[in-house]
Amino acid sequence: MSEFFGPLDSEGRVPPRQQTRVAAFLISAHGALARQFAFALPLKLESAWQTELNAQFYRETELVSLLLRATSWVPDVALGYMAASWETAWFPRPIEGIPDQPLALAVGLATLAHAAHAGIRPAALLPVDANTNDPFVMTLRRVEFESSRLLQAQILFLKGESLVPFRDAVNSALERRHTEVRKLWSEALEGVGISAREGNDEKP
Amino acid sequence: MPFLTHGSYRIRYELDGPANAPAYVLVNGLTQYAELWTAYRDALVARRFRVATFDLLGQGASDKPALFISQDDQVAALHLLIGELGDGPLFLSGISFGGLIALRYAITHGKRLAGLVPMSCFAELPPQLFLLGNALRTGLILGGTSYLQDLLLPMNVSDQWLRPVLDKLDSVKRQGWLVNDVYALQNLMESFLDFQPLTPQLSAIGVPTMILNGEFDFLTPRALHETLRVQIPNSSLVIIPRAYHAFTLEKPALTADLLARFAEDVLAGRWQGNKAVWIAPEEAGGDLVPFPAGYDHLRAIPVQGTIP
Repeated sequence: MSEFFGPLDSEGRVPPRQQTRVAAFLISAHGALARQFAFALPLKLESAWQTELNAQFYRETELVSLLLRATSWVPDVALGYMAASWETAWFPRPIEGIPDQPLALAVGLATLAHAAHAGIRPAALLPVDANTNDPFVMTLRRVEFESSRLLQAQILFLKGESLVPFRDAVNSALERRHTEVRKLWSEALEGVGISAREGNDEKP
Repeated sequence: MPFLTHGSYRIRYELDGPANAPAYVLVNGLTQYAELWTAYRDALVARRFRVATFDLLGQGASDKPALFISQDDQVAALHLLIGELGDGPLFLSGISFGGLIALRYAITHGKRLAGLVPMSCFAELPPQLFLLGNALRTGLILGGTSYLQDLLLPMNVSDQWLRPVLDKLDSVKRQGWLVNDVYALQNLMESFLDFQPLTPQLSAIGVPTMILNGEFDFLTPRALHETLRVQIPNSSLVIIPRAYHAFTLEKPALTADLLARFAEDVLAGRWQGNKAVWIAPEEAGGDLVPFPAGYDHLRAIPVQGTIP
């Protein structure tokens, strides 16, 4: 097991089996976020903050599109089972402790987005000698970079004044989401010979 | 890799050197990780010190709280680590953000310390540092960890250090980029949003204190260290020649030697702070010389001073 993709081929490309597994996971996560942002996006924007929903929706869609086109896909028999567990994990989930259900759902979505954007770092799997001109390599870098930008909306919302009365509930839900998403990510990687960096999910 | 537990979080630490020896605890700067102290560990262990290094909450292999990291929690984590070191003489040093955490520790748990060495440190956020901190945070948000490193490197180390690595900066930055996450660094930076100056509490630090400041420190210039010198009763200020903010990276042999000499002098009863101002030698083992009498150590040109 290595912390990085590999062995790379002579052109510095990531093995297709690893590309397939990682891209499938990322498409599942960012696709779920795109769908949920799409449902949350009204036809007519009524508040300034809703412009961010529009941005999140289109950026998530872009990431999915990039991954679909940049990946060298190969058959992966484990994907059926894994994808089912991933999709189940992304289901909208209102967090406990917030009586206002629409707000609780919005916080639930924000915790999922925070965990996916902050906790998943696909570019950190690239070894030093990965080919920077390879579309998959560039896509992973883009996914990670754009995730850190998208994350800012979740940080602003989750740290915002409106959630101060529910800070403990928000914090607990967010930590749980991080643990859950990182666990799924680690399992996906382990199946293709990659050990995730030691993180919050690996408590003794 | 041992871990301490603080609430639901784990703190990765490492202890090296003889168990019953006087100990040094070294606290990372904001974008750092414990391995950056390797040269210090080796040098201090060779001089019969025990050395404790660790990743702060939000750094490296320690847990990274998702939404908030308070500086009080960092002090509590440091206290846990110090609890692992027994009752022997203990010296605490930290750089920049780590220096601030060390100051906080010394204010609240000073009796446990034999000596304190804040490096490239500050107790307040005057307008320049406040705005620089905000700009660095914006840089992190817009450009990620790599861009933050791009901003910090030329500010914090010299041309002499940068020139030979200029064509391999990516590899210089890579480990810091790998082990530190944007959201965690952002949380560390945002722990300053409710920051209150420590200056009124500095006089509570009763232990011998050697304040280290790079001659050319741009991020935390001399005036910020002067606050420490003036307020901490048993202190002295040592200026590191031709050094910038990150002199612990650039001059490890010299800095480790200064740390060891300070502790040896304190333990032997030789050290006297006197709020004196010194100039460190260029190389490890050289003599410290007093800042020339009659000149103002806060100026970059030789202006005859009015400060006693």
